[in-house]
Amino acid sequence: MTPAIDRGLTGRQPKAVQSALAILETVARVGAGVTAKEVAEELGLPPATTYRLLNLLVGEEYLVRLPDLHGFALGRKAARLTGATGAAPVCTAAREVVADLRGRVRCGVHLVLCTPSTLHCADVDPDHPLQAPELVERHLHASAPGKLLLAEQDDWQDVLGPTRLHRLTDRTVVRPADLDGELGETRRRGWAVQGGQVHADLSCAAVPVRSPAGALVAALVFTVRGVDPAAPAAHAVPAADFARRLGPLLG
Amino acid sequence: MSQRSTAVRLPRRSPVDGLRRRRLSFAEVLAQSVSALAPTAAMVVVPSIVLVEAGAGTLPAFVAATALVLLIGWCLTQFGRRMAAVGGTYSYTAKGLGPVGALVGGWALLVGYATVAMAALVGAALYLAGLLGLEPTPPVVALLGGAVGLLATAFAVRGIRLSARVALVLEVVSVALVVAVLGALLVLAPRTPGSAAPVVDAPLHWGGLAVGTVLGVTAFMGFESAAVLGVEARRPLVAVPRAVLWTPAVAGVLVFGAAVAQVVLLRAAPIDVLTSPVPVAELADRNGLVPLRRLLDLGIAASFFACVTGSTNALGRVLFSMAREEVLPRTLGRTHRRFDTPHRALAAVLPAVVGVPVLALALGARPRGVLVGALTVSAAGYVVAYVLACLAVPLFLRRIGELTPLPLAGGLVAGAAGLAVLTAAVAGAARGDGAVTAAVTVAALAPGVAWALWLRWRAPERLRSVGVYDQATVSSVLPGTVPAEPPR
Repeated sequence: MTPAIDRGLTGRQPKAVQSALAILETVARVGAGVTAKEVAEELGLPPATTYRLLNLLVGEEYLVRLPDLHGFALGRKAARLTGATGAAPVCTAAREVVADLRGRVRCGVHLVLCTPSTLHCADVDPDHPLQAPELVERHLHASAPGKLLLAEQDDWQDVLGPTRLHRLTDRTVVRPADLDGELGETRRRGWAVQGGQVHADLSCAAVPVRSPAGALVAALVFTVRGVDPAAPAAHAVPAADFARRLGPLLG
Repeated sequence: MSQRSTAVRLPRRSPVDGLRRRRLSFAEVLAQSVSALAPTAAMVVVPSIVLVEAGAGTLPAFVAATALVLLIGWCLTQFGRRMAAVGGTYSYTAKGLGPVGALVGGWALLVGYATVAMAALVGAALYLAGLLGLEPTPPVVALLGGAVGLLATAFAVRGIRLSARVALVLEVVSVALVVAVLGALLVLAPRTPGSAAPVVDAPLHWGGLAVGTVLGVTAFMGFESAAVLGVEARRPLVAVPRAVLWTPAVAGVLVFGAAVAQVVLLRAAPIDVLTSPVPVAELADRNGLVPLRRLLDLGIAASFFACVTGSTNALGRVLFSMAREEVLPRTLGRTHRRFDTPHRALAAVLPAVVGVPVLALALGARPRGVLVGALTVSAAGYVVAYVLACLAVPLFLRRIGELTPLPLAGGLVAGAAGLAVLTAAVAGAARGDGAVTAAVTVAALAPGVAWALWLRWRAPERLRSVGVYDQATVSSVLPGTVPAEPPR
């Protein structure tokens, strides 16, 4: 392959980038259902240019065409522009529920917040701290809360490219087909579990915390020494009550 | 403009869910279109047929045909950039012409895919028989054809990804074989004009150019079939339109190159080579290149096999779409639990694709006659589907408020040119010895019109959801921006 030649931004390209951003902003401001014609009028852009940019943004999935095909809305991918940094601190009531749970079990209990495509370890067990929260947040295919998040997607490859299935230990799933299988199992079971996939000597289970509307907002994560996933899994079913109490506090 | 209080609601599930979502790379999407087009067969067979009709107008005719197909492809991208369809041009047409126009076009598309699959099945069987050293009698062709059909359906049910990859490898190998054979023949060819030269260099005239263009267009049929991969392709609104434009562009270059080579080769050849079924193979034989001929046969057989899988894949997905709309029985809209393919629609296709040619052969038709006849019917089916889809472009864009002058002109010109091609072909067939083929074509396409009108008259409620596609769901928008439909 020939290396790409960097010609910088030429001709009308800067204008096109500005117009594309203005279009995103207009759809966000006016709200779902805005039509191409309205966007063109709002921005004073020529219709043909507007339609072309809209099609490009829809093709890249930052915008979505609504079922009538003439209205637009922001796509799921637009959430990635804000990243996980906007995560709000966990409220005291929720921390108390987690502390209550910690008092009843003899293993690490952590609260991990979920956005549609990212994780954030918000409340790590002070007595049994996570060895490396960043591994949990980054390697969604290996960690239990990550598997929970991926199982939530129509297609996990929207969130995690198939080339990003890095091997962390001997037990990490690295084949897309194997991950498909694990995610199918997770969906059926309702919670996720893994043994030795992030650290060779740790296993963990993740129980979903859902908002009253049903969206995945957080996960209660149990970590146990050893590679047998049955050990953390034993905590999953009793924890469902705590997850239900957390739902309205976080959703 | 203030914050609008919209009544927009999104469903939780796509009406065409169940297929394996967003897995095919661009190369695999391209493979679907390329395999349905069968470039090897087009490169070897079509140029000599055009040569006989158009003489010195052959190369201009191929340029005109490529331009027309590119224009049609461009029109289809107007839909492809806006909706991820599973029913190909059928679903596109529905968005512009409504259910009746869509069903007429959809039926024509089904006829196109089905008959090209039949033709390719017989073609694969014929060339396989040649390779195995068997006499291509009807029973032998029927037996081999049945085996090819079963194998192709098995690939299609196992998964579009497998069949796309197999098809891509087969096509690359077979195109390379054809290029190698043509190259070798060019090196060996005598430089003196043979008895075919007067035909090859016959002066250019409009009639010949028109017929040549019509025949040239048939080399591209199936190029749009990537449009059935709206659910399965990764970034479908980018990948599908790109495949629909690249396929005719690449095929145009290949077929044009093959035509140039054949003009040079056949000018130096005796007249009976030009009129033989596959002049390139005949030339290889006469130059004592029997192993080369075997290679060529292998390439053509592989290309035909890829064409069977490509057409079956597309055919199954159009039927799947119709079943999801409840225009056809709902059972055809089920998908395989493990493979996520429309296995029932694909299985329903098999008896027709294998049965019709086998029946024709059993009734005493010659294999080559079945091959050419099926190709002719399929070309007519495709062109009807394309014309309707092109005419739907301006109506569709006007409906969604995005009509601009260029697509308006493009849709009208492509539609009119397609109609002209169709008329020229029918007139040519009626004038010549193709009266039987013309009758079969009309008999194959007419039920679509009758079906659409009957449904309109007796069961209009079944037409309500015609035009389903992989529409936006709650999970495709930014969370919290559009509420979900209440569960039914």
